Amino acid sequence: MLWVDKYRPKTLDKMIVHQEIAMNLKKLVSEHDCPHLLFYGPPGAGKKTLIMALLKQMFGPGAEKVKIENKIWKVDVSFCSHVSSFYWLIFQIGLAGTRTLDLELTTLSSTHHVELNPSDAGFQDRYIVQEIIKEMAKSRPIDTKGKKGFKVLVLNEVDKLSREAQHSLRRTMEKYSASCRLILCCNSSSKVTEAVRSRCLNVRVNAPTEEQIIRVLEFIGKKEGLSLPTGLGSRIAAQSNRSLRRAILSFETCRVQQYPFTENQAVPPMDWEQYVSEIAIDIVQEQSPKRLFLVRGKLYELLVNCIPPEIVLKKLLSELLKKLDSELKHEVCHWAAYYEHRMRMGQKAIFHIEAFVAKFMSIYKQFLIETFG
Amino acid sequence: MSDIRKWFMKQHDKGNGNASKPEKPAVAASQPANKSTPPAKESGKPMHGAQESSGRKKTGKVAAATTLESNTKHKPNNGSNIDRSPAKRKNPVDSEESHDNVKPPSAKRTHKGDDDDDFVLSSERKDSVDEVSPPKKLKSGSGRVGKKSIDVDEDVELDQVESPVKAGGRGGGGRGRGAAAAGGRGRGGGGRGAFMNFGERKDPPHKGEKEVPAGSPDCLAGLTFVISGTLDSLEREEAEDLIKRHGGRVTGSVSKKTSYLLADEDIGGRKSSKAKELGTSFLTEDGLFDLIRASKPATATVQEVSKKKSLEKANYPQPKSSPIKGEVKDDGKSLIRKCVGKGLLPAASPTKQKSQTNIHDSLMWTEKYKPKVPNDIIGNQSLVKQLHDWLANWNKEFLHTGQKGKVKKQNDSGSKKAVLLSGSPGIGKSTSAKLVSQMLGFQIVEVNASDNRGKADAKIMRGIGGNTSNSIKELVSNESLSSNMDCAKHTKSVLVMDEVDGMSAGDRGGVADLIASIKISKIPIICICNDRYSQKLKSLVNYCLLLNFRKPTKQQMAKRLMQVATAEVLKVNEIALEELADRVNGDMRMALNQLQYMSVSQSVINYDDIRARLASSSKDEDISPFSAVDKLFHFNGGKLRMDERIDLSMSDPDLVPLIIQENYINYRPSTVGRDDSGVKRMNLIARAAESVGDGDIVNVQIRRYRQWQLSQVGCLASSIIPAALMHGHREALTAGERNFNRFGGWLGKNSTMGKNLRLLEDLHVHVLASRETIIDRVTVRTDLFSLLLKQLTNPLRELSKDVAVQKVVDFMDAYSLSQEDFDTIVELSKFQGHPNPLDGIQPAVKAALTKAYKQGSSSRVVRAADLITLPGMKKAPKKRIAAMLEPVEDGLPVVNDDALAESEKENSSDAEDQDADINGDKKPQMDVQSSKSKGIHVELDLKSTGNSKEKKTPASKSKASQSAGKGGRSSGATKRKR
Repeated sequence: MLWVDKYRPKTLDKMIVHQEIAMNLKKLVSEHDCPHLLFYGPPGAGKKTLIMALLKQMFGPGAEKVKIENKIWKVDVSFCSHVSSFYWLIFQIGLAGTRTLDLELTTLSSTHHVELNPSDAGFQDRYIVQEIIKEMAKSRPIDTKGKKGFKVLVLNEVDKLSREAQHSLRRTMEKYSASCRLILCCNSSSKVTEAVRSRCLNVRVNAPTEEQIIRVLEFIGKKEGLSLPTGLGSRIAAQSNRSLRRAILSFETCRVQQYPFTENQAVPPMDWEQYVSEIAIDIVQEQSPKRLFLVRGKLYELLVNCIPPEIVLKKLLSELLKKLDSELKHEVCHWAAYYEHRMRMGQKAIFHIEAFVAKFMSIYKQFLIETFG
Repeated sequence: MSDIRKWFMKQHDKGNGNASKPEKPAVAASQPANKSTPPAKESGKPMHGAQESSGRKKTGKVAAATTLESNTKHKPNNGSNIDRSPAKRKNPVDSEESHDNVKPPSAKRTHKGDDDDDFVLSSERKDSVDEVSPPKKLKSGSGRVGKKSIDVDEDVELDQVESPVKAGGRGGGGRGRGAAAAGGRGRGGGGRGAFMNFGERKDPPHKGEKEVPAGSPDCLAGLTFVISGTLDSLEREEAEDLIKRHGGRVTGSVSKKTSYLLADEDIGGRKSSKAKELGTSFLTEDGLFDLIRASKPATATVQEVSKKKSLEKANYPQPKSSPIKGEVKDDGKSLIRKCVGKGLLPAASPTKQKSQTNIHDSLMWTEKYKPKVPNDIIGNQSLVKQLHDWLANWNKEFLHTGQKGKVKKQNDSGSKKAVLLSGSPGIGKSTSAKLVSQMLGFQIVEVNASDNRGKADAKIMRGIGGNTSNSIKELVSNESLSSNMDCAKHTKSVLVMDEVDGMSAGDRGGVADLIASIKISKIPIICICNDRYSQKLKSLVNYCLLLNFRKPTKQQMAKRLMQVATAEVLKVNEIALEELADRVNGDMRMALNQLQYMSVSQSVINYDDIRARLASSSKDEDISPFSAVDKLFHFNGGKLRMDERIDLSMSDPDLVPLIIQENYINYRPSTVGRDDSGVKRMNLIARAAESVGDGDIVNVQIRRYRQWQLSQVGCLASSIIPAALMHGHREALTAGERNFNRFGGWLGKNSTMGKNLRLLEDLHVHVLASRETIIDRVTVRTDLFSLLLKQLTNPLRELSKDVAVQKVVDFMDAYSLSQEDFDTIVELSKFQGHPNPLDGIQPAVKAALTKAYKQGSSSRVVRAADLITLPGMKKAPKKRIAAMLEPVEDGLPVVNDDALAESEKENSSDAEDQDADINGDKKPQMDVQSSKSKGIHVELDLKSTGNSKEKKTPASKSKASQSAGKGGRSSGATKRKR
């Protein structure tokens, strides 16, 4: 088993980082009725771990008896709100009425809670919120013997929900609060609407500091019986971008690669990160249509390999910034933000990443010529 | 003089350029030969220069002619003018003597060279003496001057005719000139109306670099050209256009009538070999230009006169060669037409004609010149005949069925009671139906799309209804009465159902009703449609005799149009009419309408008028997204009107933006002037890219929020702006790429991405199902993959085979990864230019892994829902079934193993009948899996609570172990079988 999973704290008491939050949560659920919760924080900070531990705290070990269900839900949609995702779908023109929409959704559920990822449905997420979640929220849990009279819905990636879906969500939160609690989990609370945020207890889960990460790594090393040189540990922590998960994973990768650790052992980067930094090198080396075409091919490669475009853009920016003169940094950051925003409004991510690359090339080329003639 | 010197300089440059160009060995070979000639030439030329300059002093007009001539003269620096000179000579001969194609035999040429010398000199003298010469004379004079100069050149070259390799010399000439011209003129002229063709023909090497000359509109009249291979600077369509504009004719293959084979390089194809066989002369593109330039009219009046003259000539052969079919029409008219045709043109006749036509002016030409007898119909004569036969025999066949009707079925056309005429609009289907019926004395009842053709009301089928369809029914069934009565006048009738494919929503059951009518009909029925393969007509087709009208050829049409034109005293040459026929796509009606329209404003119509007139109408046809993008990005794309651009990008509002997005990088924008560093281009690309992004955002608004009113904005942002910024020359970015627009890559990439996302989701579900982790999908890819891949492949690379395989399989089991997931991980970790993650793993190890995994699969609990096949169901159920998860460590697997061991022991005794059982089973392995899944069923357990759970559900557990045991047994058996 991977170390990330092996050494994941299962209860709130065993938390190494975020102990304070864990204690507060424990107090909250044991003494009071639990409010809706919104966990937000960067990836790898420990949101999911906290949630799972919290569930265990609330329902006991029964919360860990999960089953996976991949089910197609039939949702009746009134016709006027017909939405078609891609242009090759034939737009049916018909009379007013309803039609059935098939939504496939994977849920992870125990008797006490259901965990789902509504944003998987793309912009049909609204129907998931309106129909499925409502349906789940309505029914009281069967297990009435349990002390809790409600069940919990864990919604992941709430920040990726469309605005419509979030609007639908807030009504559900109020109406069915008697039988159901929502635990929302997301990376950025800024993309969750004000209305939803105000209905939840917001729990900010910070990224662990590097010291904390090193502590965790040392803890794991001790448990595994490995001797971890301090230099390596701190380098892993530094490279992890303050994501604990990433740190543990690369720690294990180091272990797989070479065991008796050496002080200056290379910490292998993620495959796609390496690819992105290659792209950045390509871009800085030459600014020409030909190079742009090459970069487009590489970007496609990343996207086809399921790397989310936002992450690609972010990583690309940080790689570019490493190579830039300070006077350009501000402008480039501005454009990156600009194109990222547009990317979220649009649908075809590659267009916007390419536009960013083209913009960068044009700025950089101009800059080079002005500076060096 | 300085001009001439310049020309000489250039010539030398050209020579050098040729030498430096190593592309053609032939050129190089002929180089020495060329080198040897200049002295001879130079000795000849200064004298000319003197003559010319003297000529220039005398009169400006002549000066123009001579400078032009100097153009033409210096150009032929090597073998090429051997081919061209006959052309020069032939042209005047044509225009002066008669229309008869006097084919100058090659032997005659050389003689003439000598003869002309004296003659030319005299003419030159005459020119310089006659200061004020009548325009006509001047024209001929200038023509002669042109001829003369060539001839003198020929004189020079007659000496060297033997030395140069013919083909090589010609090629060199063309190339050299192209290079020289390019320096002077930049990217100016070319590329008019060029379409990118997708054939394998190469782009012209000097595309758009030469100035396309303009000559008198009829300088090529009577000449027939065949174009072969790639020309130097013109696209084939452009060359055709050029020739046609100057009155020449372009045909597809070489025949005796062919005057020139237009080719810049001898590619040795069929055309060139045929041409050599027939003695057809070759002509380079430059030669063609010279032909045209040479004829450049000195003054407008000359042009006018010559045009008129040659027009008559062009018209002249036409009526004579073709028997006039329309002669059946009013005699007076045809007589006049004959007069016109003969070119006699008595002074009185035009006015007479005018007065006559004035009477009919109100009539549309399409009505006026409608064929009056079936023979008038252009083309499809055999079909008309067939229709005629069918109609003539109809009564015999079907009405007197009592006696002999059924027996008589020898000819196919008689066997069907109705006929279906099909073909594109305007080619005379309705007309032929009417004419044939008229000729046979049938009375026509026409029902077309303007009538309601719904199903007849069943109740009043026999009665008289207001409904058309009822009256049809009535008509169809009542005919028996009239024929039975057998009156003296005996009006037979025929039902013409026009536009049957137009039977639409309003005409419910129309086709079915028509079929029913056909079945009971007592009169012949003629159905007419445009598209025979239309879905609506599928059932009708079985009941009809199918006659498919084809489009008449353009020659046929032009012939007919010429008759009309002459009847209307309209001056138009045949080439122009052929172009018209070509443009209207075989639609005679449209051609006539266009002609009439043009006749209102002008009495002389030439090729360019027709082109200009129909340029707009030809646009209505469907254009592929590729040609739309080509046009938008075309060098002259900036000159398109806005509505044209919108039309182009709207031709396919989904694909055009994608193709544009894919290709905009490839264009070198023509709006940027000098741009050494490429900064401006990069800026434009950035702007175009942003606009493409805008288009995407607008598209989301359109599709997601149904803001369709934004579609114009969308196409503006996604297609027009990028194209407007970037239009110019396309260049290939990668080596070996064909310089055509690629298809948009987004679609393919997106679907691959979708597939990979699905695979990743499967993997994610499996990983989740192992309950070891609570990671989400994105993090699985971004964070977990590297480690997973290392865990899965590193042991295979480093450890010994068995240990490694065992380790990997254990790891896969721990995360309930299937073989497919393994592949997914490998697949999604592949990056172009990076080593394949599976490199360095021996195939044997891979095979062992597969084997080991398969082996383990019998004892492996079903982890994920999608692996289950239900017994009794052939396909996996569409809806995934909740998976049931058993902890690996406790309970079941142990039991499983025991059972396996036991069953192995048992099996040794009764292996035979096990085998038999399995043979009977089609997919033993599958069955095992499914039975197991049934046994285990929808319960799951946690490690920690596993024991208590086990107690709770002993039944299911035992069932599970039983079935597992069974599975083990049978799999053991299969193993042994192997």
